[in-house]
Amino acid sequence: MSVPSSPVDSLRRASQFDINGAYRRILADEKISTPLAAILALTELIEQSNAGTMFELVQALHEGAEALRKQYRNSISINAGCELFIAFVTLFPHESASFNDLKIELVKQGREYANEALSYREKIAQQALGFIKDGSVILTHSYSRVVMQALLLAHNQKRISVYVTEARPRGLGLDRVKTQEALATAGIPCTVVLDSAVAYVMDKVDLVLVGSEAVVESGGLINAVGSNQMAIIAKAANKPVYAMAESYKFHRLFPLSQYDLPTHTSNVLSFPRQPARPSVSKSFPSSPIKPTAQRHPSSQATFFSEYQMTPEQIRLNPEVDYTRPDLISLVFSDVGILTPEGVSQYLVGMFAG
Amino acid sequence: MSAPLSETKGSGPAAGGASNAQANTNVLEGNAEGQSEPKRRQKNMTRAQRRELQESQRAAKAADAEKGGERGGAKGKSTAKPSEAHRSASGAPGRPRRPTESGDTPSRATFTSSRSAGRDARDSTYGGDDGNTQTRGLRIFSHFGLPKAPSNVKGDIHPAIIRLGLQFSTFRITGANARCIATLTAFKTVIQDYSTPPNTTLSRHLMTHLNPQINHLVTARPMAVSMGNAIRQLKLEISNSDIDMPEQDAKDLLCRKIDNYIRDRIIFADQVIQDSAGQKLRDGDVILTFARSSVVEKVLLRAHGDGKRISVIVVDSRPMLEGKHLLSVLTSAGIPCTYLLLPALGSVIGQASTVLLGAHSLHADGAVYSRAGNALVAMLAKTHSVPVLVCCETYKFAESVILDGFTKNELAPTGDIFRTLPSVIRRDRLTLDPSPNLEIRSPLYDLTPPTNITAVVTEVGIIPPNSISSVPLTLGRQATYNSASVFDGV
Repeated sequence: MSVPSSPVDSLRRASQFDINGAYRRILADEKISTPLAAILALTELIEQSNAGTMFELVQALHEGAEALRKQYRNSISINAGCELFIAFVTLFPHESASFNDLKIELVKQGREYANEALSYREKIAQQALGFIKDGSVILTHSYSRVVMQALLLAHNQKRISVYVTEARPRGLGLDRVKTQEALATAGIPCTVVLDSAVAYVMDKVDLVLVGSEAVVESGGLINAVGSNQMAIIAKAANKPVYAMAESYKFHRLFPLSQYDLPTHTSNVLSFPRQPARPSVSKSFPSSPIKPTAQRHPSSQATFFSEYQMTPEQIRLNPEVDYTRPDLISLVFSDVGILTPEGVSQYLVGMFAG
Repeated sequence: MSAPLSETKGSGPAAGGASNAQANTNVLEGNAEGQSEPKRRQKNMTRAQRRELQESQRAAKAADAEKGGERGGAKGKSTAKPSEAHRSASGAPGRPRRPTESGDTPSRATFTSSRSAGRDARDSTYGGDDGNTQTRGLRIFSHFGLPKAPSNVKGDIHPAIIRLGLQFSTFRITGANARCIATLTAFKTVIQDYSTPPNTTLSRHLMTHLNPQINHLVTARPMAVSMGNAIRQLKLEISNSDIDMPEQDAKDLLCRKIDNYIRDRIIFADQVIQDSAGQKLRDGDVILTFARSSVVEKVLLRAHGDGKRISVIVVDSRPMLEGKHLLSVLTSAGIPCTYLLLPALGSVIGQASTVLLGAHSLHADGAVYSRAGNALVAMLAKTHSVPVLVCCETYKFAESVILDGFTKNELAPTGDIFRTLPSVIRRDRLTLDPSPNLEIRSPLYDLTPPTNITAVVTEVGIIPPNSISSVPLTLGRQATYNSASVFDGV
């Protein structure tokens, strides 16, 4: 990454460490979520680095986090993990005799934290149990491990049925199958609904349960696109919206609007540039009449509707959205069941002190 | 909203005010001399006797007013602002005396009501006048503090404080930050000029020396929350100062502590606020702001300096029209600006991408107490879902909760509200004739509920208004830890 030179030998060694590879390897474990994977990847970085001072180490960590961040278009949850870990490292008391001992201690602490964090979901699922009554109809969005765990736990003790949204574009292939399949194998009655049918289904629903990518300082949350509209509809129908988030997803960020998210680029929602006038009548990209499947016959599966969006069109759409705190009833986390204000107070108390 | 830091630009008016203040001080001291004799006697009187004396003095005043309206009516304190009395007297030549009387009543009413028997004073004055009870002002506003020149100097007040009091009461120094900095700077002089009397210690006696100074400032204008917090911190430092330390060293240490407070809690805080608020401003943004806040001004200038293409809508309102100053600063920096008055806000709020407001103080429930008009701007922005950011340093946090802008407020100076109007319109068509049935009152502040505020930008980060209660706690805890450790050490 940087030009090799003798004084920054340790830094170079640290940057030689393939953080992305480590991250992807860790993430391959089904149980580990993105922020945790980022924390573990940084822990490995500490193990590999031969930084001699705290300053070098923190700098190496920042570089590693930056390298990780650059790889992904949506780096919010990676960022949450990285920031948490770097804050932990900088605030860690220097009691060890030598810096090497300190590093070993940090690595140990990082691993321990990750191990402990794996039990968070169980804790959250347990908390949510009291809010799910027998015979509840639950609406959930996209795929979330913690929501899945809560639903499976609730299913053991209560009769529940679940509506799960299609959650495009992410849910298109993998995720839809995942949520519905997992629930169906567990024997939970489950129906997939269109994203556009959320308002239709809302009156049949007792509560909305969503996971989150990050919980931000305002008390709102960032989650797969569609969560915001689901929360708005739930609010209009006076249904409670419960969010679930492990505390490592709490992120020091204050989005003022959808377009204030770090994932928002000028590209998102931009209007297609039209090359020339006559072509408009011939093929207007967003026109629903145009069968796009013909344009990409090879890349599209045959069962896809011919009105399917093209990958280019999908790329103009946001991956995540921001749900305002006033739309959320409660946030279940391993630090307790919090109101959105409680989340922001927790975050302010943690970082602003 | 607030004047520039008094150190730099404030020096202009301060210097101008200096000679004024000096002259006034002489007058005031003369007054004090004259009054000291009866005062001493008053102390030995019983309550009834004192009341009798007051009544007789009042009667004398009323008689005085009957005799000569051109001398400023019953105003015993006319020395403070003779020009105003003169102006209103000459403004309506047809009715030379009445307008003078009623024009002066608001100030006099609040003035006297703050003393012990203000209500009686008013009644008797009017009774002596013409018995017209309709001229009584709106009683519900009588608790609003009206800034006034401190007329009588009680006790041993330092000249720097007297000067500052005059600058406060004439609105030469306005804004929470500027007032706080000016107060602390004046206290530095007071501390340096102070010498501990024999048989006492600095840590015990300095406080009793400072209290009358503070009271003097409060009579000039009600204390700002920022000043209150700073003074509380100062008192803590004084009580913590080491008894065994040589006096000059202790004074130097206190002055250094004051400097550090100004630096850490105001100047550095403002820089951090500039950074974090700047992150929320993007190329092409239209920022709407109301009146003038020193922090908002800095944020906008910094964003412009960082090369962001922003434009600013300055919303302003009478009577102070403070936004004009902001406007001139921003336009001379090359930021495209739009200027309009509050009634026109509805038509432009849709164009704004962010609303940036300043604050006088921030209360425990997240409500922002700020220049009158801010609440309206925030409310309108909320209905149009424009994010509202309030820039506020943590030293402006108040632990209290106030429920509305009515229980505690001040009145804006009514002196010359129409001076700033364009001269195309004939002045006499605009000025409201002060008549017995008309009272002009403009509250200085209002309260913005936390629901209308998206976030508060402080030096500890951008936080939602309803969780600020967790910030002063942590800061306050730090302070108590410090003092605890000091006490342990002693």
